[in-house]
Amino acid sequence: MHIPTSNYKKRVALGVLFILLIVMVTSPLYAPRYTVILLTSIFMFIVLTVSWTVFSGPTGYVSLAPAAFFGVGVYASALLGFVFPLPVVILLGGISSSCLAVIVGALTLRLRGIYFVMFTFGLVELLLHFILWWEVNITGTTGRVVPTVGNTTVYYLMLGVLVIVILTAYLLNRSRYGLALQSIGECEEAAAHTGVHVTAMKISTFALSAFFMGAAGAIMATRWTYIDPRIAFNPVLSFLPVLMAIFGGTGQLYGPVIGAALFTYLEEFLITRFPYYYMLIFGFIMVFAILYLPEGLVGMIQKLWKRIGGAKHADS
Amino acid sequence: MKSKGFMRIFVIAIALFFLTAAPLAAKDKIVIGQAISLSGPQAAGVDISGGKIYELWVHEVNKEGGIFVKEYGKKLPVELKRYDDKTDIGTMTNLLERLILEDKVDFVFPPWGTAFLFAAAPIANKYGYILIGGPGGALKLKELNVPYFFQVLNFSETQGPTLAEIFKEVGVKSVAVAYRGDLHGIEYGSAMVPDFKKRGIEVKLNKSYPPDIKDLSPILKEAQSLGVDAFAAACYPPGGFLFTGQSIELGINFKAFFLTVLPFSPNAYRDNLGVNVVEGVMGGGAWNAKSSPGAKDLVDKFVALFKVEPDYWGGLFYWSSLQHFRKAIEKAGSLDQKKIRDIMANEKFETALGPFWYDKDRYFVNHPGEIGQWQKGVFEVIDPGAKRTAPPLYPKPAWPKKK
Repeated sequence: MHIPTSNYKKRVALGVLFILLIVMVTSPLYAPRYTVILLTSIFMFIVLTVSWTVFSGPTGYVSLAPAAFFGVGVYASALLGFVFPLPVVILLGGISSSCLAVIVGALTLRLRGIYFVMFTFGLVELLLHFILWWEVNITGTTGRVVPTVGNTTVYYLMLGVLVIVILTAYLLNRSRYGLALQSIGECEEAAAHTGVHVTAMKISTFALSAFFMGAAGAIMATRWTYIDPRIAFNPVLSFLPVLMAIFGGTGQLYGPVIGAALFTYLEEFLITRFPYYYMLIFGFIMVFAILYLPEGLVGMIQKLWKRIGGAKHADS
Repeated sequence: MKSKGFMRIFVIAIALFFLTAAPLAAKDKIVIGQAISLSGPQAAGVDISGGKIYELWVHEVNKEGGIFVKEYGKKLPVELKRYDDKTDIGTMTNLLERLILEDKVDFVFPPWGTAFLFAAAPIANKYGYILIGGPGGALKLKELNVPYFFQVLNFSETQGPTLAEIFKEVGVKSVAVAYRGDLHGIEYGSAMVPDFKKRGIEVKLNKSYPPDIKDLSPILKEAQSLGVDAFAAACYPPGGFLFTGQSIELGINFKAFFLTVLPFSPNAYRDNLGVNVVEGVMGGGAWNAKSSPGAKDLVDKFVALFKVEPDYWGGLFYWSSLQHFRKAIEKAGSLDQKKIRDIMANEKFETALGPFWYDKDRYFVNHPGEIGQWQKGVFEVIDPGAKRTAPPLYPKPAWPKKK
């Protein structure tokens, strides 16, 4: 009895996802042009938030490095954009971010708690100022022009990265590898004693999550035409994925997805309707979310669902 | 019976909707969109330079009933639709495209700052929207092929040689140059140094500093120990305040003291520090109420609306560019971007600063002045030639002693 229902649920979920994917793939054909641009932004934040959750969700290591990895991708796009075709540039952007993550991870993933948080945030500033110094003193410029492509191209590329990142996160969650990550988050010593290679696991996952952030950066840079270190390494991009993940809830894969999508849309809505008050309104929403939705939107939805389901049972 | 009644109401409602919607579609105003930094690090800059000029222009145009557009046979008032880009370039690009695609505004005004102009120019160009540059700009912008972009503000290309000429005229023998480590600093730094050398002025120090620095006294002390006559810094307001404040505190005096960005602001600089403190400080600019009758008119109108004086670098530039733009619309007699663009690119119109036109690269050339100097509370234009409103004050009086 039990198995068929879960199979049925799975089929429905798959069906819904498939339809959603078709809608997203075809939307540039009929959706208003601005919707496509807005969706690109939403996809970008979903990529950042989900890839942040891939590492920080199970392990509990709060990383404030997304802006650093994103920025590396942006610079990859500026430096290589005129040399290679865009898909290669995106791949290289992701790989450079991964390499950085491996180096940084090897050095610092022995740090825990607040020390790790501080270090990762320091990394953003370190890279910003290093590149600034390099550009001023070695190359004698700070701004770089990035080759641009059409909005639809950017949309499809971002959608591609989005699909890959969600598939990766899904498969990771269900694998032995994901289980090992979870065990690191629960008790690192115990995990090590049961034979999990703790450091290697952490570094490889950190690098994996950095790959997608770098790829997202390489794509988005093409929309900006001109970049300098301050634009590429924008600290806000370190905090937003964390906030979006909290907003959505990190317990389930769709938590960060819903969190990032709703957060981005809400911001766009408020900024255009209330240009002078949106920050205040946004602040209230965040305070409310943190005070009353400890498990995020997804936690709230699940609770509501249960309550409705429970009421039905009481009736019958 | 009942459903028939509903049907009737439905049909009437639909008809009414279309009937009332039809007059709305007729043009009754010109909507101009602007994504600009109302919050974040650039917001202070928007407030002291440029941001308010656009508001004043809209206010003044509407006071006269709007812009006459022949195609519609009437005057159309202007509405400024502003969004806040939070000083984030990604947000700015999105909002600019939203204004164009979703809100379908008639025209767009520029965002604030050089980097933002770089990002905005190709977007506006892609949709065939005219973009008249405001605060910001750099030689590098010429590298982009964007026929709908017009550069209004002057920068190192014309200010560097003028400053060097002034230094030569007053007898400066040696100079120390400091520049901020960013596009602005590097462009000015690398432009000023050869200009000085060409005129036989020795550059004894040429140093960059990181944008977020909180202590610039080492550079000032080094310049002092080298015994230079003049100190010239390519800085932004935070650095400008540091250079000024620290040289006052340390009692370091140069015979000439020049900062690119900051002295032009009567509110942020003169009123904060005091008329006697800023006496003799030179800055990028420049114009003042004496530059032309139109300039005086701008100061009066600005003070009447905002109770403060406009900035004496770009204020008159942006104001006149908007007058030029308005005349181009009136001449085109339509809101067609292509027609207006072609008129703007080719025609000379009389504006507050005098005749206004763009060169073949669509750069505005007839600047009201390049270098200003505070003299008795007035930001005097000290360029050699006809634009000068007062001779340069040299040597600059020593900073007042701290009590």
